[in-house]
Amino acid sequence: MAANAQGVAEAPFVWHPATAEEAWQLKATLGAEGVFTAGGTLLRTQWESGLAAMPNHLIDIGAIQELHGPRTDSEIGTVCFGAMTTLSEIRTSPLVNASFPLLTEAARSIAAPSIRNLATIGGNVLSIVGDSIPALLVYDPVLHWHDGSSGLEESLSEWLSTAAVHPVWKERLLLSVALTPPTLNSNTKRFVAYHKVGRRDAFTPSVVTAAFSIQLDSDNRLGDVRLALGGGQTIPHRLETVEQFLTGKPADKKTITEVYSMILEHYEPKGDAFVPVSYRKKAAANLIASELWKAAK
Amino acid sequence: MLLNKKGSGARWRVRPDGPDKVTGKLAYLTDMTAPDMLIGRVLRSPHAHARITAIRTEHAAALDGVHAVITHKDVPGLNRFGIAHPDQPVLCEDRVRYVGDAVAAVAADTLEIAEHALRLIEVDYEPLPIVEDAEYALTDEAPQLHPQGNLLHRNGFQRGDIAAGFDSCAHVVEETYYTPRQMHTYMETEGGLFIPGEDGRLTVYSPTQHGFMDRMQLARILAIPQSEIRIVSSPIGGSFGGKDELNVQPYGALLARITKRPVKLHNSRWESVRAGLKRHPMKITMKTGVDDSGRLIAHQVRIIADTGPYATLGAEVLNFAVEHVIGPYRYEHLDVEGFSVYTNNGMSGEFRGFGGNQAIFALEGQFDRLAEKLGMDPWELRLRNMRRSDDPGPFDQPIALTEGAKQVSAAMTSSPLWQERSNPAAKAAQDEPWIRTGIGAAFTMHGAGLGFGIPDPAGGRLTLAADGKIEAVFGYEEFGQGLIASLEQMLIEQFGFASGDIRIVIGDTDIVPESGSTTASRATSMMWKSLQNLRPLFEDAVLGKAADILQLPASRLRFGEGGVYAIEASPEPDNPKCLMTYPALAAACWEPVTSSTQFHFPTSDTQKVGAHFLYTYSAVAVKVEVNQLTGRVRVLHQYHAVAAGPVINPQGFLGQIEGGSSMAIGFALTEDAVMSGGQYLTKNLDTYLVPTIAEHRGTIDVQPIEELPEEDNYGPRGIGEVGSVTLAPAIAAAIYDAVGVRVTKLPIDSELLLAQSFDSFLDKAVSGE
Repeated sequence: MAANAQGVAEAPFVWHPATAEEAWQLKATLGAEGVFTAGGTLLRTQWESGLAAMPNHLIDIGAIQELHGPRTDSEIGTVCFGAMTTLSEIRTSPLVNASFPLLTEAARSIAAPSIRNLATIGGNVLSIVGDSIPALLVYDPVLHWHDGSSGLEESLSEWLSTAAVHPVWKERLLLSVALTPPTLNSNTKRFVAYHKVGRRDAFTPSVVTAAFSIQLDSDNRLGDVRLALGGGQTIPHRLETVEQFLTGKPADKKTITEVYSMILEHYEPKGDAFVPVSYRKKAAANLIASELWKAAK
Repeated sequence: MLLNKKGSGARWRVRPDGPDKVTGKLAYLTDMTAPDMLIGRVLRSPHAHARITAIRTEHAAALDGVHAVITHKDVPGLNRFGIAHPDQPVLCEDRVRYVGDAVAAVAADTLEIAEHALRLIEVDYEPLPIVEDAEYALTDEAPQLHPQGNLLHRNGFQRGDIAAGFDSCAHVVEETYYTPRQMHTYMETEGGLFIPGEDGRLTVYSPTQHGFMDRMQLARILAIPQSEIRIVSSPIGGSFGGKDELNVQPYGALLARITKRPVKLHNSRWESVRAGLKRHPMKITMKTGVDDSGRLIAHQVRIIADTGPYATLGAEVLNFAVEHVIGPYRYEHLDVEGFSVYTNNGMSGEFRGFGGNQAIFALEGQFDRLAEKLGMDPWELRLRNMRRSDDPGPFDQPIALTEGAKQVSAAMTSSPLWQERSNPAAKAAQDEPWIRTGIGAAFTMHGAGLGFGIPDPAGGRLTLAADGKIEAVFGYEEFGQGLIASLEQMLIEQFGFASGDIRIVIGDTDIVPESGSTTASRATSMMWKSLQNLRPLFEDAVLGKAADILQLPASRLRFGEGGVYAIEASPEPDNPKCLMTYPALAAACWEPVTSSTQFHFPTSDTQKVGAHFLYTYSAVAVKVEVNQLTGRVRVLHQYHAVAAGPVINPQGFLGQIEGGSSMAIGFALTEDAVMSGGQYLTKNLDTYLVPTIAEHRGTIDVQPIEELPEEDNYGPRGIGEVGSVTLAPAIAAAIYDAVGVRVTKLPIDSELLLAQSFDSFLDKAVSGE
């Protein structure tokens, strides 16, 4: 906590590095005294609630050009979202909506417009439980970090699997999240859906977040199945067992019934004081089953 | 005709306080600052129940920039407050009873210094066992929170022989209903600016619903005459009952008196949640029996209200609930008992609906369940047992006779929304079979005024001021409900003044007369009655002066826009000539011309404390959509029939019903200040969820029923609360209609509404089968 000689709180010193390297150097120098900030929307709630102390130094990464906006690699259609890309930019981008419609929907469901103008995709990902994550997971995202040397790449899934317990990434600077749109095989139809269920309809923490993407071929067989769940304090993840089970199966009653049961059995969300685990499991199973039902209809 | 802008024509006026509010130009009292002011902060207990063994303030007092650190030792007068029963410590002496209890307060140069000073105050606590559950609180083994025990108040009503009554019933329904700890969630949190004058007087700029009550309570705390205190209390950024009781005022007043500097306090949302009032959570058990024709025979009710650590208006809220669990129906045998119980949970107190919301949710639920047992339409069952217009009130007390019950019922049952119920169109959408819709309805009579046995004064004053303005002076408050707009509209419509002729003066104890509190759906009724009383007096006084000057008989003069006019032989000319403007008339008078009135809110001829005389009747139909995948409920369409006498201000009337229903949506679907171990789990608005605009996508039709019996001279009835009390049971009925699930606990648990399995949807055409 920034404080004067008498211990009275003072505003942190704010640094404005112009490059990723400069930002990383500052963090390396300041250590725990310095905290990266982008939109600052989550940090503010943590300071206010006492979950985190306001640091002595804030490293504002807003001036670093390479962190801004989506960039397309036209060769393979990969889009690289700079960590500073705001949720509002994602929400309104025709490019995003064309290639990654689930991400558009996710951005629409997070917080409220004024917050989305500040909040960034990088910050939402680094919260570990952000509502963009289930949507991102469908597009096999890769995180690009600056770690002071040659840079580091890792898949979002890989990072999520250890992020909560090994906070070494807090020493690095997230540069971007790269997504690749799924390709559509011939004679197939793709069905996608994103759901966020909260305790109210808008501006609400998620209870269950589900992202769904499948292909259905002309024989009514399922392929390229990508399912992700999250919500609340549950770390979002792909449902690999269910995905493997579904691949090649016909979209019929039997499959839907089995998937419903599998989700109840395998999905292990975290409960809280407001919504128990039992609800989260049932709602998640219902949402995935309902999307299969729509595809099968 | 439904109430809306188009149908209201010229009566739909721009609110006088509207433009400044929507543009943000208006300065609320908590926006005010003063040169040289200090910032005040309050140290509150971290424990829900503990003994205080020591308080050390030396380190805090020694901090640079700190001007005062106060504890209970610095309270010169009564170290207690509470509107009805002052038992809440201003600053705790030796014991804390909830997490909002104040232990010390500081005034410092800046907020940061004040906050740091709070951290330097050392308080030694010995935690004590806590009382979380109101029923447990009534047992012998529970820790006793007050010298008289844990029971704040008990009230009931009995008639006939309840046991014999149940013996003769063909059907009996027994159910327990639970309602949430709802928060007022006003946009402006509690705060104020406290300025000591050079003359030794103290001026308090702080929102409250009853300036004179604050003045009395502060005088008692400060041990100074009431005349030494001026309370400026409007405009207010929302209150809903939550700012009627004192909140930050004692600390601001003490700190300002001690430092002799202006002091500002303004609660953060966190502190507001922690310290502020909530709606009483109630557990209401009802056993209700009918004969085989559906006639009500016996009704037994037990109410347990969690009133929290101190009294404020807990007893009065319970009285209201006891009256409204009986409601607008006829019973042979009645046995109602209610308990308002102290606990170590958050403070409960006054909140729009005042115990009616909880009572009506339970009572109406009984009718829906009984109707099902009887195989009868739920509304038919209500009609069969509905009060007749000349029946006494719920406590067998005489009440003002109206046809309100019959009128709202007839309006609601003929509404297109209710008619839609008999339409066999599918309840589930073909392409999304898990979306189901249902329609439900509920009914109420809601009392206005404070009720028998409680001082409920009213009055006001009209003055032709020296500058020629017609000054309307009332002791009421504007907290967003549209009081200023309604008063202006009455002055224009009843007297003939123009908007520009009028100056409305409210919310300043140095100027206004005692008009009673701005609560209990009473202010518009009391302003209307005041103007009825004042009109002949003011006409005599002002037109009499004009007559003397104009050398015309007063009987030939009238008020008009801008001045005094002649009453012409009919037909009146299109452009009547103003004989004398108000400024000219004022200039010709030696002194301001004033008329005033004082009276009491009409009460019933009864001995039952809290029994009401005037009621508003309401019948509400609602259509909801239930998503069985998620258990989430959406309110699609509401219809409110409200019998409350003449519509004084169409925009205000519609606003009150819509606003009340918005709070009821929260009460029914999303809002609950959850506590565990005496601590709030919902500490802020990120977990305490008020409805957003997304919850308000449905349409709301409001049908006012203005007709009153010819001999009725009580005028408009209150509408400030009635919109908030009838919607929740109607939503519960609509959910049952949609998915066949009975709701007994609010806010509704989505898990109850989930499809039991996915199989039922699979039967709806999946291709390839």
